[in-house]
Amino acid sequence: MIRSVSVVTLLGFLVGCVVAIAAVGFVEAIVWLNDALFVSPRSRMLAANEPWLVAVTIAVPTLGGLVVGVLCALIPDRRPHGPADAIYTAQSMEGAMPARAGALTAAAACVGLGAGASVGQYGPLVHMGASLGSWISRVAGAGRYLGTIAIGCGAAAAISTAFNAPIAGLVFAHEVILRHYSLRAFAPITVSATLGYVVANVVFERPPLFRIEDVQVVSPYEYLAFIGIGMAGAVIAMVYMRAIMVSGRISQNLPLPGPVKPALAGMMLGIVALQIPDVLGIGKEVLRFAIIEGAFTPPELAVTLVAKLVVTALCLGFGFAGGVFSPALLIGILFGALAGTGMEWLAGDDRSHIAIYAVCGMVAVTSPVIGAPLTTILIVFELTRNYDLATAAMVSVAFANLIGYRIFGRSLFDRQLLSRGFDLSLGRDKVMMRQRTLREFLSSDYTKVAPTTPLIAVRDALIADGRSEAYVVTESGAYTGTVTMNRLMELAVADSSLNGDAAAYAVPEPLVLSPDDSIWDAMSRLESFVGESIPVVEESRLMGVVPEAAIVQAYLHTLEEIRREENAAA
Amino acid sequence: MLLCLAMSGICAAETLTVLTWGGAYERSQTKAYFEPFTALTGIEIRTEQYNGGIDELQQQVKNDNVAWDVIDLVKSDSIRACDRGLLKPIDDDELPPAPDGTPARADFYPGALTRCAVGEVIYATVLAFDARAFSVHKPTKVSDLFDLERFPGKRALQREPIAILEWALRSYDVPVEEIYNLLSTDRGLDLAFRRLDAIKDWIIWWEDGATPARLLAEGEVVMASGYNGRFFDAAVNDGLPIQTLWDAQLYDYSLLAIPRGAPNTDLARRFVRFATSTRQLAEQARYISYGPARESASAQVWKHAATGIDMRPHLPTYPPNFERAIRKDHEWYARTGDRLQERFASWLEE
Repeated sequence: MIRSVSVVTLLGFLVGCVVAIAAVGFVEAIVWLNDALFVSPRSRMLAANEPWLVAVTIAVPTLGGLVVGVLCALIPDRRPHGPADAIYTAQSMEGAMPARAGALTAAAACVGLGAGASVGQYGPLVHMGASLGSWISRVAGAGRYLGTIAIGCGAAAAISTAFNAPIAGLVFAHEVILRHYSLRAFAPITVSATLGYVVANVVFERPPLFRIEDVQVVSPYEYLAFIGIGMAGAVIAMVYMRAIMVSGRISQNLPLPGPVKPALAGMMLGIVALQIPDVLGIGKEVLRFAIIEGAFTPPELAVTLVAKLVVTALCLGFGFAGGVFSPALLIGILFGALAGTGMEWLAGDDRSHIAIYAVCGMVAVTSPVIGAPLTTILIVFELTRNYDLATAAMVSVAFANLIGYRIFGRSLFDRQLLSRGFDLSLGRDKVMMRQRTLREFLSSDYTKVAPTTPLIAVRDALIADGRSEAYVVTESGAYTGTVTMNRLMELAVADSSLNGDAAAYAVPEPLVLSPDDSIWDAMSRLESFVGESIPVVEESRLMGVVPEAAIVQAYLHTLEEIRREENAAA
Repeated sequence: MLLCLAMSGICAAETLTVLTWGGAYERSQTKAYFEPFTALTGIEIRTEQYNGGIDELQQQVKNDNVAWDVIDLVKSDSIRACDRGLLKPIDDDELPPAPDGTPARADFYPGALTRCAVGEVIYATVLAFDARAFSVHKPTKVSDLFDLERFPGKRALQREPIAILEWALRSYDVPVEEIYNLLSTDRGLDLAFRRLDAIKDWIIWWEDGATPARLLAEGEVVMASGYNGRFFDAAVNDGLPIQTLWDAQLYDYSLLAIPRGAPNTDLARRFVRFATSTRQLAEQARYISYGPARESASAQVWKHAATGIDMRPHLPTYPPNFERAIRKDHEWYARTGDRLQERFASWLEE
């Protein structure tokens, strides 16, 4: 027991350290690239030279897109991975995330973000953390259970480091990745999240991500406004998520080579940025301006919001590697500021500081996108340490997630998985059983007869094997039908000498499975099945059989595995 | 002068011309650098005064008519002048080590040594106020500069786009580490000038570093921006009721450099080496509340020469003072200075 406690804790420690350092490196690399490539406002201001800067503004995201496209083409399934892949690995208990896809996605995200793509940096960070965690657990020789915990540790450390928010990191791993709260996972993930925080704060002394000075909710009726912001924010979040999906479909139908697509998106981004530089990159300056009264006029807020939403959908749909979180923060905070300006018009001076409205809008749009209400509230609380602000945000988040869940689903990640055929809303058991194919349950314990075998020999073989079904297989291995003991007995009543050969009396089974069928498919088709075992056929060849009992056992085993993971104490 | 030129080396070698800032600051340099240097070498130091900027230096170098051997300049000016080839490069190895043998490169604080200039002090542009002007509430933070309701009265500000833009953004609660990123956008600059608009009619502009303390002393203004050493000098040496705000002060290096084509380059090098030694830098801090650019000099405990008070709490580098400071972004100023000047000038005319 003590040994297993120390093993999981050590795992959390190791993953926390490695991921925190990698996350700081990732963020710093992007900052450096933004300066070197004239994406950051400061570097653009220093450059000064106008005509040259125009060319650079278009060229950098275009070429960045090309590099991203080439990097993504090297990933086995030719797409950048993301948090959805980490969720899937954890939910299906596969335990291992591919290292190659992890490294290439991180590199592609770094280049894209460095070149000013309008995508998020936290998705890649979470995916990188989860991949690193998974890789460390494999190197350390840990099994599937620990592998899943290590993925959670990595995601927690990434969030904790990036936001300086250890509690949010801890909750994120449970709420979004693992989706259960076992004590066994809790300890190592806490260790990992804390280490991420320590590394970011103590070792590298990074300043807080987003400081907001003391602001307070002025009057209680404003909570009604926060509810309204939550509901409207959910609508914007859904428009945002739909836009990303539609853009992805448009991109798929474009007859262009893969790497050209992100380059095209980059070029369009650059052209928009000439008019509205606020859309470039992560846009931290915009976050700040949004909470300053009067920095934006209401039309500017609206235009920037729409522009950011469109270019983000474009960048993500056309294959830039990156997340959905940071742009959602920006879109949301612009929306919140707009709502705050509207409230000023309604309520006059009797209104809280615009920062409160802006933050409410920010979380109302973000939370339905990532499907993480608790994490979002905690990020606000840990970043600002302001109780009023966190409470206001909580109200908006609750209503935003309620509406988003009803109309769209739990999150964009879940929708992405759904489009790949994994419906997490149906429960983990189904996801896992859709993952396991019959191939691993194939049995070669069956009676096989050639088409020319006389029926009398078939009967003798069945009696010798103690079975009631014989499978008729040609010389080339093709399955033609089954001769059952029942059938033989019927024939014997008419003609006790059982003349004739197997081929003539073989009847194909009504239920034939393929080795690539999942346990879930098999289970659902079993309902009408009567018999001993089911033939499994691939390209008309008989690969083996699965006894009904094996399928039921696999189902029970899966349930048991889930129960063990979700209730494990140490 | 003609006589000197005719006799070449000898006469010129007897005086060294240093361009510096006048007032209390120059007095501290006289005590700590000039007088000891003359005592040691017999070379007289002659000074001229200016208020920063490199236009005149550029003119002199261009006309091959450089009048100064050594100039005292702020860091962004030293970067600009060096980039434009107006200064002679100075190698770190030329500089004397600390008394314990630590090489100069490790002894100077990060950023105090540049290719063409050697740091002497860390000074800060601060906001100060007349303690007599406010009886109930006293200003506590730099945003009070923009609060005419609670703190009515004239303000003295430097006629330069330095520090006031940072303070204007700080008054919107922009965190210190984000200020230059925001000032790099049109939106950020607009916000800053909008704040200045609101107090424009209440500003008296100053150019010479000694003016703000004088305006406060005479009751002409209730608040003033200025160099922390000058306000210290006015408060301690002259006993004036001037209080310094250690909030969002802009700290910067003051450095010594040698113009390209200076009349006495070798002597100038000798002077720069002497003045930036540990002993001389520590000595200067006995006269003015600026932090020495060398660690070894800071480590020496010192008291004010005239009054014997502990100087440390008055230095910009004193940890409690340093907490809310803004590090002046020298590169930003060096590269955007001309454009800022233009925008500032057109705003002044509005």
